[in-house]
Amino acid sequence: MIPVAKQQSIPFVGGTSPVISAREINFAFGEGELRKQILFDVSFDVAAGEIVLLTGPSGSGKTTLLTLIGALRHVREGQLTVLSRALHRASPADLIATRRDIGFIFQQHNLLEFLTARQNVELVFELHPEISKSEVRRKSLQILEDVGLGQRVDYHPGRLSGGQKQRVAVARALAASPRLILADEPTAALDSQSGRDVVNLLQQLARTGGCPVLMVTHDSRVLDIADRIIHMEDGRIVS
Amino acid sequence: MRSSFALAWRQLTHHRMKLAVASAGVVVAVMLMLVQLGIRQGAMDNSVALTRRVTADLVVVSPRTKTIFQAASFPRRLLFRLPAHPQVARVQEMYQAQARWRNPWTFQEHPISVYGIHSERPLLKLPGYSELAADLRLRDHVIFDGRSRTTYGPVVETVRSKGMLETEVNRRLIRVVGVIDVGISITADGNLYMTPENFLRLFPGRSPGAVDLGLIELKPGADPLVLKQELQHYLGSEAIILTQSALVTAEENFLRENAPIDFIFGMGAAVGFFIGFVVVYQILYTEVTNHLPQFATMKAMGFTDGFLLQVVLSQAFILSVLGYVPGFFLALWLYEVATKAIQMQFSMTWGRALMVWSLTLVMCGLSAAIAVRKAQSADPADVF
Repeated sequence: MIPVAKQQSIPFVGGTSPVISAREINFAFGEGELRKQILFDVSFDVAAGEIVLLTGPSGSGKTTLLTLIGALRHVREGQLTVLSRALHRASPADLIATRRDIGFIFQQHNLLEFLTARQNVELVFELHPEISKSEVRRKSLQILEDVGLGQRVDYHPGRLSGGQKQRVAVARALAASPRLILADEPTAALDSQSGRDVVNLLQQLARTGGCPVLMVTHDSRVLDIADRIIHMEDGRIVS
Repeated sequence: MRSSFALAWRQLTHHRMKLAVASAGVVVAVMLMLVQLGIRQGAMDNSVALTRRVTADLVVVSPRTKTIFQAASFPRRLLFRLPAHPQVARVQEMYQAQARWRNPWTFQEHPISVYGIHSERPLLKLPGYSELAADLRLRDHVIFDGRSRTTYGPVVETVRSKGMLETEVNRRLIRVVGVIDVGISITADGNLYMTPENFLRLFPGRSPGAVDLGLIELKPGADPLVLKQELQHYLGSEAIILTQSALVTAEENFLRENAPIDFIFGMGAAVGFFIGFVVVYQILYTEVTNHLPQFATMKAMGFTDGFLLQVVLSQAFILSVLGYVPGFFLALWLYEVATKAIQMQFSMTWGRALMVWSLTLVMCGLSAAIAVRKAQSADPADVF
């Protein structure tokens, strides 16, 4: 991967290049004697429109890899290009800009309990001030409709079930048309039916929106939606 | 800013009970600050009320006088030299002393401040005083201060209904023929006003030649500061001349140094500030800590630390408003209660209202600034 020289601080790469491109990434926590290496020479690509699952036992470094791709941690060794931005040489402001193009779905829904479902979704648009208020409202209602919560837009999270809350979280991640979706065990806290619903929803929205999904999961029940499965062990990609 | 404010508002109002408790803390802080500072100002204003009423351009006092309420006397003959200056219009002498007033209802004696002031065109603003000049010329006729404490008995009511009241002052029968409102101080519980002649009758041991205060009225256009210098030569070192404003300042400084008003009430206000600071900090800190995963999520989504700072600062601002408004009205009510209980006049001033409002903003803003450090420690990588 050779970044094309540009005036911008973030080098842009060709249009047909992969959405995620990782080359020989090493990552360690701690310093000196306490140093513990988590990732060893991780290299892989994710193309546009792909649904990729990341599996492996706990401690294999899946989540750490996800936080690097999500621009939540700084890459120190290796090259990582996400959405045409070279994260290994990005400033904190570049990292924040990258996050705004990504839809995150967490194990916990992490909804703000003092906002209704609709307000939680609308909050994302604060990061996109160019979208008008009426448009924000229309989009938020539409996406909640799409995840099957059209009847509950004005409910606070306290009055929604676990599956419904996770669906609001999915709606929030997808609302502002992200260019990449990162999900960390979105089904872990859900029963099999709700988990299935959430995954189907992701798949359906990813297919229609053409947006790639990278999902960390332990859940063998949902492996069938993947275009590709990357298996990790001890910080290395095994297959 | 608008969206962070809306978020702050929704977060605070989600738990009404918590919000009520938090606001109550700020209410107490605001009220304490307003009341303490108000009483401080009130005690000061009431204590120098008489000096503020002096209309003379210049005042003569003994060099030994620290406060005119316990004035040292100086020879009256010095005052007779002053009209020799062409710019001096009039000179009046004034006497002041403590006497014992017998409460005619309980027969108990209470100390009272007595002033001997000319009743014709006095060089003091005493509304209603010279109107009673004809009565005051009569032997042992005096006027009572309507703001005096109730320990002297229902004097005001009796004088209003019966026209007069007879009792003893310094074991001499006197007649109260009128009431005027001037004000008492932390050093005097009540005041009596009368002519110098009647004053000297109450204090047979005092020589008429030993006066406590000289009041000088200058001719129009004369500069008090220049005259102060020129007239000082007439008096030598036996008496000194002050301008009216210098007299007020001197009295205020005397009170500051001799009565611990500033310290006591300043301390009370500081305690109020501290209470408010701790309460707001506690509330905001808990609010931030409880929402740390959500704040981390917001950061992961691409919100900046600056946005979170705006949210917490907005919450601090909302708490300031919710605490200040009821605290302000509570303080107004307490001023009335205190005016009745302490029998001194307490009132709200714009300056104090604005000052306490700024203090409230500083108090809440400071708490927010410390609490927000916790929010900034939220690591978006921890939410996975």
